[in-house]
Amino acid sequence: MATLHVENITKVFPPLTKRGTPVRALNGVSFEMSGQVFVSVVGPSGCGKSTLLNIASGVDTPTAGTLDLTHNDGEAGIGYVFQDPRLLPWRSVMDNLLYVSDEDKESARKKAQTYLEMVGLGDFAHMYPNQLSGGMQQRVGIARAFFVDPDLLLMDEPFSHLDAITARGLREQLQEIWNETRKMVLFVTHDVREAVELSNRIIMMARGGQIHADIEIDLPYPRRPSDPAVAMLQAEILGRFEEMEAELMG
Amino acid sequence: MAQATLAERQAKQVSQYAARKRWQRTGGLILGWVGFIGIWYLISEFVVGPYLLPSPLAVGTHMWEIIQDGQFIRHFWSSILKVFAGFGIGLLIGTPVGYFMGRSKYWKAFFHDPVMVAGSAPGITYAVMALVIFGISVDGPILAVALVSMPYIAINVAEGIEGADQKLIDMSRAFRRSERDILRHVLIPSIMPFAVAGVRLSFAYAWKVEQLTEVFGSSSGVGFKIRQEFEDFSYTGVLAWVLLFIIFMLLLERFVLVRLERRLFRWRGQEEGEKT
Amino acid sequence: MSSLNASQPALGEVQPGIFSTLQRALTSGWGARISAYILFLLIWQALTWTIPRVPGPVPVFVFIWTEMTGGPHGGVLRGQFWGHFLITLQRFSFGLVIAIVTGTILGILIGSLPFARALLNDTLLVFLALPAIIWAFLTVMWFGIGDKAPIYTTFLTAAPFVAVNVAQGVRAITPDLHRMSAAFGVPLTKRIRYLILPAVMGYLFAGIRFAVITGWNGVLLAEFFGSAEGVGWRTRFWYDANRYRGFVGWIIVFIIFIILLDRLVFTRIQRRVFRWRDAQGESEIAEFAAASTQ
Repeated sequence: MATLHVENITKVFPPLTKRGTPVRALNGVSFEMSGQVFVSVVGPSGCGKSTLLNIASGVDTPTAGTLDLTHNDGEAGIGYVFQDPRLLPWRSVMDNLLYVSDEDKESARKKAQTYLEMVGLGDFAHMYPNQLSGGMQQRVGIARAFFVDPDLLLMDEPFSHLDAITARGLREQLQEIWNETRKMVLFVTHDVREAVELSNRIIMMARGGQIHADIEIDLPYPRRPSDPAVAMLQAEILGRFEEMEAELMG
Repeated sequence: MAQATLAERQAKQVSQYAARKRWQRTGGLILGWVGFIGIWYLISEFVVGPYLLPSPLAVGTHMWEIIQDGQFIRHFWSSILKVFAGFGIGLLIGTPVGYFMGRSKYWKAFFHDPVMVAGSAPGITYAVMALVIFGISVDGPILAVALVSMPYIAINVAEGIEGADQKLIDMSRAFRRSERDILRHVLIPSIMPFAVAGVRLSFAYAWKVEQLTEVFGSSSGVGFKIRQEFEDFSYTGVLAWVLLFIIFMLLLERFVLVRLERRLFRWRGQEEGEKT
Repeated sequence: MSSLNASQPALGEVQPGIFSTLQRALTSGWGARISAYILFLLIWQALTWTIPRVPGPVPVFVFIWTEMTGGPHGGVLRGQFWGHFLITLQRFSFGLVIAIVTGTILGILIGSLPFARALLNDTLLVFLALPAIIWAFLTVMWFGIGDKAPIYTTFLTAAPFVAVNVAQGVRAITPDLHRMSAAFGVPLTKRIRYLILPAVMGYLFAGIRFAVITGWNGVLLAEFFGSAEGVGWRTRFWYDANRYRGFVGWIIVFIIFIILLDRLVFTRIQRRVFRWRDAQGESEIAEFAAASTQ
């Protein structure tokens, strides 16, 4: 079992221009998550959620505070799904999955095929990314992230660049694959409804890099957007979100 | 009922139009070539005489002889080898130069002038350089091609690097790929199309310069043969080799290069109808 | 991959004064450029020392100076340069003018008549691809020693470029613009003046630029192989005499002339003429494409 422990993280960026003020992207953020949870970080742009993800993945370092990812068996592995698919266009779908794994080719190939089938792309293993639609490419990205068997799966607004219909389909698929694998997921989005549909815990962040609320979502899976229970909860959380925005404005 | 026939008629009109256009084009082409040979024949027979301008038949026969006795293969192969060797060296040096130019301001400033001058200097520069450095030898033309192609390759690679996908590099780092992996799987494949574009752009030019260098300083190859025939006052010979050269270049460009490019860049998905 | 920031001083640099100034100068933009030239001269010099055939930079430049000014010797060498240069320039200009006229006419035909295009396009491409040296040989074969071969070589190498560019220019005037003019009832004279001419002008200019570069190359080659005077002949003279400093010297003069002409005159005019097309002007690759017409 893995645990992500975030302790008082602060991130300050140097000013963009000579005379500007430094940008405080994260301001003393603390929380903890462990086990088979799907945590969404929701907030408007500028609330620091992407920065938090960068620090969690090791791409960026905090100005202050600590972030620990611990795993019982030693070093923890991280998987990442980006906003855009970020596939190597000159390798096939299968090779793209193999690229991120250090396992030996034969066993890795079988495993990769399984994950591709989980996202419904089992027959497309030998095609090139340019031969797939945007939604399919993103599915490959998701398969890739799950394929490395990560202890922490980071997802950075993975559906924000897709059209509504494709995104809906992918959310469904993500729920399925998560239910099967039960990884620890940290999911960043600006879409409150999406967060309610997918996660069992929502961390609401405000502009300026602070946690405003930490909400447990206790609905059974699978969740359909058409389900009235889901819709009601979405409305409620959205309301709280708008309250938060109003507070900060006023 | 009327609708169906209307659609049918329209489709027929469109295909008839296309067919007519195709006939026009082929007709024009054939007429062009026939006209070319016809005018040639006329000038040869009636204007300047067959000594100054050998008849198409004489040249054609000589061309055939050249092919038959193996000279064609021998000298063209010699020229091709030099061209490709030259490109190999050009790629070997031009790609790193372009890489550094694209990634560092210092190197960009350092290489800017040499690359610009090398790229705009007349072809004879390289022929002379190769001649003076190597004298009469095989290496001269190779060097010339290398020098010609290097600036094109460097500039293309530099532009390619500047646009290189930082996102793919970030993705690789997020998945903990080593720097070597990144170089091998991200940087080099993304530079390659640009390096090849550099080769493509400079191909015709490099070929010309190679011929020129061969004329001056080689003992085999097409350029050499042309000069030889010229100095022997064999006009038939000069024309025969020149025509073979032209045909060869056209064929090479149209069949070999285009195919090679397509295979190398299959993943670009430029063919229509491949999007699923 | 570390990227060097040209304006930052080296890490750990502590002493002020001449050492750090030198270092900063060396790593600056200008320092980089000058370093490249110095490196080139050093490589040249190294080649001179290792390969007996290669003349050194100093003797070459001294030679050029002597050819131009007559030097301390005077007499035989005085004025060699200018006489030959003028002859070559005359031949070149003749051939160029014919090339421009013929090329423009051909280009207009190919650009506006599909039948002409089908007829002539392949021939044009072939002519474009032929190395200038071949024209030099052919014309010397046909016209012997004298003025005709260089003039015709210039013409034959340059005309295709003018034709191709003018054809492009004509075709750039899309049918839409013609239809628009017709819809507004614009008279032919006005159309020529405001629609056709400006569009074609730019392309014609580009064609002339290519024609100049390639024609200059052609005239040299023709003179090299079949003339008794001119830049090309003079180059051959020194080559035959095995005096490589003379050979290289004349080639350098030849190159510098065309590079200066191209950069100082044509590039400037072209930037202004093509202002309406793209504000950025040509990329470096396009500049190479211009030069690759040899």
